[in-house]
Amino acid sequence: MIKLNKVTKRFGSIVALDNISFEVKDGEFVFITGPSGAGKTTILKLILGQIVPDVGEVIVDGTDVGKLKLKDLPSFRQKMGVVFQDFKILPERTVDENVQVALAVIGLSKTEWDVRVKHALKLVGLSRQINLFPSQLSGGELQRLSLARALSVNPKIILADEPTGNLDWQTSDDLMKLFQKINEEGKTILMATHNLEIVKKHKKRVINIVGGKMENKTKNQKSEIEPKA
Amino acid sequence: MFSIHLKTALGYIRRSPFQALAASFVLTLTFFVATTVSVLVYSSSRLISYFETRPQVIAFLKDGVSDADVANLQHSLQSDSRIKDVKYVSKEEALSIYQKATSDNPLLGQLVSPSIFPASLEFSVADLSYAQSVIDQIKANGIVDSVGFTAALGGESSLKDVVTRLNTITLYVKMGGSIFVGMLAITSLVVLLIIISMRMANKREEMEILNLIGATRGFISSPIIMEAVIYAIFGVFMGWLISFITILYAAPTVVSYFGEIPVLPNGILGLSELFGIILAVELFFGLFLALSGSLLAITRVKKAR
Repeated sequence: MIKLNKVTKRFGSIVALDNISFEVKDGEFVFITGPSGAGKTTILKLILGQIVPDVGEVIVDGTDVGKLKLKDLPSFRQKMGVVFQDFKILPERTVDENVQVALAVIGLSKTEWDVRVKHALKLVGLSRQINLFPSQLSGGELQRLSLARALSVNPKIILADEPTGNLDWQTSDDLMKLFQKINEEGKTILMATHNLEIVKKHKKRVINIVGGKMENKTKNQKSEIEPKA
Repeated sequence: MFSIHLKTALGYIRRSPFQALAASFVLTLTFFVATTVSVLVYSSSRLISYFETRPQVIAFLKDGVSDADVANLQHSLQSDSRIKDVKYVSKEEALSIYQKATSDNPLLGQLVSPSIFPASLEFSVADLSYAQSVIDQIKANGIVDSVGFTAALGGESSLKDVVTRLNTITLYVKMGGSIFVGMLAITSLVVLLIIISMRMANKREEMEILNLIGATRGFISSPIIMEAVIYAIFGVFMGWLISFITILYAAPTVVSYFGEIPVLPNGILGLSELFGIILAVELFFGLFLALSGSLLAITRVKKAR
């Protein structure tokens, strides 16, 4: 479970997040929406432990992320899969090596890499591109590779920051179907997006952030959880 | 896990060949000089040791001393730990030595008889510093007429001069070599630091990605440390090998120049043993240099969450 409790985050004089509280239950698929600069990415960074809240707490599976020591962050992050808007793919490694790196990071035995890599790449439809370099892939393929890397470590939680931000409509739709499928397998997905078409199409819970604050109205509610004050 | 880091490190080297060349060249030069200086220090030490243990003290015996007295003195010299290689030279043997020394003018040898040569006891001192006390002690013995010292080198002061000069040269070799090797080692460390820092600057994005997917600092820095270790091992082997080949090539000339003075170990086996020890020590220092250089560069990077 992910829980943000009265979280405030400032960058200098700018208030990025102001008294944000919400919960995401295990197995849920939640959209975080809002215009650019609303604070969506800041929420994901807080959950990932990249930044710490000035006020409030961020709890992930019972762990107060803000209080985690530097040495404990890697093992905490290894439990999560992250998909970035700019893909964050290692440019000098092939498709399979990019996934292998994630498996090496979690310390998985090399004998298990092959099966995991093939499974993850098959799931996202990149089996044929296994030996290609990122520069030889399209934007959609790069994003699917990013997702394959995230999935390969079998995380409980997947954080996706504008995964369709750089993709055309058709590719975005294909990717969203993948996320839907993954969610149905029991993974918790928290996706930041400003693509309202996607949000409308997939009837999931929406947390709308505007100017660093939560809007109290919900859109496309599948399950209604009012933000806690 | 090791293979993925090694593959990454080799990839880094392959993608920036000029940096790799700079690091390898400096490290090769450092360890070439280190190997050569080590051999020079070894050779000069052997040279000093040779001269220090060479001095022949000759105790000329009075005429008419009994064999028992000579045997007693010989025995007491042999039991003295400061003295070694005690040898009795009879009058006849002394004549034979004289005749041999004057073989280019046989007439000189024919004009003398054994009776004019005193019998003597010849020996070496284990260390030159013992020479004076041993000579004083021998002189006090009743059957000893006089004591000669290192006739081959022209006397006591001459030998001391030779050893002092050799000691000074060895000291200069050691000091000069140490300073030179030290400066090269510092240069190598700085070059490694620069290259590793550049590598880290180039790979900032990759390191950030790895950090975000949960890689530990050890995981992220392993290929970088491995790269430095590869440079160091390569530098050690190349520097050592070039020096080894050069000295092997020069060995016959050196050995023939110094004659019986053993400035180099005997045979290829002895030489290999000496170079084996040097290689082991240099590998240790090479690894130390690589680890300290890369770790220093890594710790200078600000720790981020």
